Amino acid sequence: MSIENQAQQVIDLVSAAGAMGDLIIDQGESLSLKASEGELEEYKVSSSQILGLRVIKDGKVGTAYSEAVDKNALNSLVDQALTNASFTVTEAHERIQLNDNRLKTDDAVLCPAEDVEIEHKIKFCLDMERDLVAKPKVKNVPYNSVQDITGQRHVFSSAGLNASSKSRMCVAYAYALIEDGDKNAMQGAGQASRLFADLNVNDLVERAYSNTIDILDGSPVASGHYDVIFDEEMQASLFQVFSMMFSGKSAKDGVNPMREKLGHAIADPRLNIIDQPLNSQGFGYSLFDAEGIATHATPLIVDGVLNTLIHNSATASFFDVVTTGHASRSPKSTMGVGLHQIEISAGDATSVDLLCSEYLLLTDMTGLHSGANAISGDFSFGASGYLCQDGERVRPVRGITVAGNFYEMLRKIALIGKDQYWNWEKSALMPQVRFADIAISG
Amino acid sequence: MLNPQSAQSVIDHGISLGADFAELFVEQSQSNIISTLSNQVQSVESGIDFGIGIRLVYGSKVLYGYTNKPEADELKRIMSELAAKDLRAPGISSTSFDYRQIEDLHSAQRTLSIDSEVESKVAFLMAADAAARAEGNMISQTRGTCRQKQQNIELFNSEGLHTADTRNYIRTGLTSIASDGSDQATGSWSDGGLLGWELQDDISAEKTGSEASRQALVNLGARPCPSGRMPVIIGNGFGGVIFHEACGHLLETTSVAKKASVFHDQMGQMIANPRVNAVDDGLLLKQWGSINIDDEGLDTQRTQLIKDGQLTSFLVDRIGAEQTGFSATGSGRRESYKFAPASRMRNTFIEPGDAELDDMIASIDKGIYASHMGGGSVQPGTGEFNFAVTEGYYIEHGKIKYPVKAATLISTGPAVLKEISMVGKDFSLACGMCGSVSGSVPTSVGQATLKVDDILVGGNA
Repeated sequence: MSIENQAQQVIDLVSAAGAMGDLIIDQGESLSLKASEGELEEYKVSSSQILGLRVIKDGKVGTAYSEAVDKNALNSLVDQALTNASFTVTEAHERIQLNDNRLKTDDAVLCPAEDVEIEHKIKFCLDMERDLVAKPKVKNVPYNSVQDITGQRHVFSSAGLNASSKSRMCVAYAYALIEDGDKNAMQGAGQASRLFADLNVNDLVERAYSNTIDILDGSPVASGHYDVIFDEEMQASLFQVFSMMFSGKSAKDGVNPMREKLGHAIADPRLNIIDQPLNSQGFGYSLFDAEGIATHATPLIVDGVLNTLIHNSATASFFDVVTTGHASRSPKSTMGVGLHQIEISAGDATSVDLLCSEYLLLTDMTGLHSGANAISGDFSFGASGYLCQDGERVRPVRGITVAGNFYEMLRKIALIGKDQYWNWEKSALMPQVRFADIAISG
Repeated sequence: MLNPQSAQSVIDHGISLGADFAELFVEQSQSNIISTLSNQVQSVESGIDFGIGIRLVYGSKVLYGYTNKPEADELKRIMSELAAKDLRAPGISSTSFDYRQIEDLHSAQRTLSIDSEVESKVAFLMAADAAARAEGNMISQTRGTCRQKQQNIELFNSEGLHTADTRNYIRTGLTSIASDGSDQATGSWSDGGLLGWELQDDISAEKTGSEASRQALVNLGARPCPSGRMPVIIGNGFGGVIFHEACGHLLETTSVAKKASVFHDQMGQMIANPRVNAVDDGLLLKQWGSINIDDEGLDTQRTQLIKDGQLTSFLVDRIGAEQTGFSATGSGRRESYKFAPASRMRNTFIEPGDAELDDMIASIDKGIYASHMGGGSVQPGTGEFNFAVTEGYYIEHGKIKYPVKAATLISTGPAVLKEISMVGKDFSLACGMCGSVSGSVPTSVGQATLKVDDILVGGNA
C-alpha cells in the first residue's frame, strides 16, 4: 500500500468517527559499519516505517502510533487514539490547523543522488580504523562508525495537508584510546555531510588523533573562577541542554523560568540568537514543522532581550500570539515545540581580543544529561580542555568540573568572536563566546 | 509471532550464505503512557512496536539488520544483503527447532494486555499531586507519569533454539517544582518493576508526592555547593549509580573484549577496597532490571562481580564469550529489535555492610552527604565517570550544616573503588534506564549508604 493510500485510509477512519486528525509517517533506511582490528566488526542495515496519529474529538486530544501497517493495525491505531482522547480534559487551544499546504523539500539539495559502491564505504571504515591505530601510542579505536542514513517524513491531515521531506546524512566518527604507561585518554572526531564523497578520512584521522594525544598529559588546574571558552562542539551542546528556555510549551506548563521575561534583557546586549530552519548547510534544515506550517527564521534573543518563545499552534493560541512554526512531534510523542537550527550571530571581537590573557578552552564535558537543571539553570559537569594564554595552549587540563548557572552565564559574556563555526553534526552555527568568571574545581 | 516454518527457512538461508550463526529476534510491544500536569490529565499515549532483528555472525563479525515486514522473502532479502560481502561455502542448513518453554519467574497480574487501567492510574497520580501540594504553597507545579509496557519477544537461532518471553514493565512517578518567585527547584520520586499495575498495592501515592516536594523544597533553599576534593557519603538506592558508572560498564565484555576497559586484564586482582562486594543479579523477583531469559535466549543468573575487593566475573554475552573465553552470564540485552544484543547490566549493586550513617557523618571534617543522586556516565576506556547529586548537604566538623545545590562528582573507576571505606546497612534498589551500544534498557542500581574518602566535587560556591 502506498504512503498516500495508508494516510487516506487513516484520515477517512478519523473523519468517519467525527474527529479531526493529523498523521505523521516517518520512514528510514540506514547503513552502519564498524571496524575492529582491521576487520569489519559490524554491518547493519535497516528499513523502518512508523505511523503516529493525533486526533481531536470534542476538544479532546489523543495520540497513538504503530509500526505495523496492515489493515487491522491501521484500524487499531485510530481506535487507540480516539480511546486515549476520551480520557483527557478538553484542550481549548489545540486544534488541527486548517492548512491544506502542499510542501515538498528539494531532493537535489537535501538528498542528492550519489553512486557509491558499498565496497567504498567499507574501505573508508577500515582505512579510518587502520590509520588511527597506526598512530603512535594508539591502543585501539573502540568506537568508530561510518553511516549513510536517509530519512523521510510525511505529514497529512484531515484538512488536506500533504507535506513531505527527504534528507540524507553521511556520518563518520572515530574515538581513539591512547595509552602511555599509566596514562590514558580517549577522544575522537566526527564528520557529517550530505554526500559520502565529502567525507575525508585523512582529516578525520588527524583530528581524532590530535584531540586525543594532546589531552593525554592533562591534569587539573587549581580551583577558582576562570574565563572560559567552549569549543564549537561543547558550546552547541550547552545551548541544546538549556534550549527549554525558549519553549512556549514549557511556559504554558508553568515550568519555563523565561515565561515572564519576554521583552526583558536576559543576556549581554551583544548576544543575538536566531533559529534558522532554512539554512540548508545544516542538518537541522526544516521546510515545515510537525503541523505542516512553513518555517521561517525566528529571532529569539535580540541585543540581549528575549524576543519570543517558540510556539506551535496550541501554545501560540494559549498566549494569544501566532505560531512560530516550531511544532515538534515524533510519531510516538504528543505535540510539543522544538528548535530547528540555532544560530548565534557573529560578534565583533577579533581573535586577538577574544583569546587574550589567560582562559580555559573546554573541549569535552561529561554528564550533560544528568548534571543540568533546565528549570533552575544550575549545572555541574565534568570537563577537560586546555589552559591557554594569548591564544596559545599552555597545557592540557583534565579531571576538573565546571559549574554555574546558565541563565546567569548569559549575562557574563566577555566577548563574542567575529567568525561562526558549525559543530561537526552541523546542528548549530555559532561564533566563539568568552564567558567570564566561571567556577572550576580541580 | 513468526511461524516456525518461515523462521526455519530464513535461518537456513543464513546458514546457506556461510554464516557461523544466524538469529531472528521478533518483537511486538505495546506501551501506554499517562502524563499529568498539576491535577489534570495532560495526555494518554499508546502504541505498538513491531519488528524483526536479523543477526548473522561470521567469526567475530556481526551483521545486523531489521525490518517491520515479517514476510520470509523480505527477511531473506535482508540476510542476503547483509551477507553479500561475506559469502562463504554454505554450512549445513537444516535447522530444526526445539521449542523451549520459559518459566515466568515474574508473572504479572494487571497487565497492559488486559486493560490499560487509565482511570486507576490517573487516580493514583491525582493523589500524588494532592500530597505534593500539601507540602506547602511554594509547590508551583507537578508533573506525573505512569508508563506501562508489555514486550513480547520470540527468538529463533541456528542452534535450534526457539523460545519466547513476555516482559511486563511498569513505572510511575512525580516531579514537583518549588518556586519562591525568583528561583525554581525540582524534586522527584518514582517506583517501578517487572510487574503489572499491581505495583500500586506496594507503593504509596502520598509518599510519591510528598517525597518529590520535600526534595524540591530542600533544593529551593540550598546554597551553592563547595568544590574540590573531599569525602562524600552517598545515599542508598539510586546512589548505587556510582558503582554502575564507576565499575559496572567497565565489566561488560562489550568494552572488555575490545580492551577498551581499564579492567580488561584485571580478572582475579584486587580492584576495590576489601569492604566492597558487588553483584549483578537478573533473578531478583519482579525487580526492574530482572529478566527470565536474556535477549539471546540464555538463562539469566546472579553474577558475583567483586568479592571482598577482588574481581571475580565480567558480564558476558554470546559474542563476548567467544571473544574473551569467559562463560556467558545471560547478560545479552537490547532495547528492541533495532539493536544487536550486547553485554549489559541487570540489577547491579554493592552488597550491604555494617556501618552506621551517624558514624560516617561523624568521621568527616569537611565533606558532602549526597542523599539522592541523579544519572551519570562513564568513558570505559579511561574509567573517567561522573554523576549528579540531586539532594546534598554540606558536612562540617562531623555534623550536617546546610543543603547544597546540584553538584557533579567525578573520578575514575579504579580510583573510587579503592576509596569506598564504609558501607552501611540500609540497602535498597532503585530503577533507572541505562543507555549504551544496544540502546536503552531497564536496569536497577542499588547499595546501602556508603562513604567515599576522596572524590572531586564540582560545586559552584
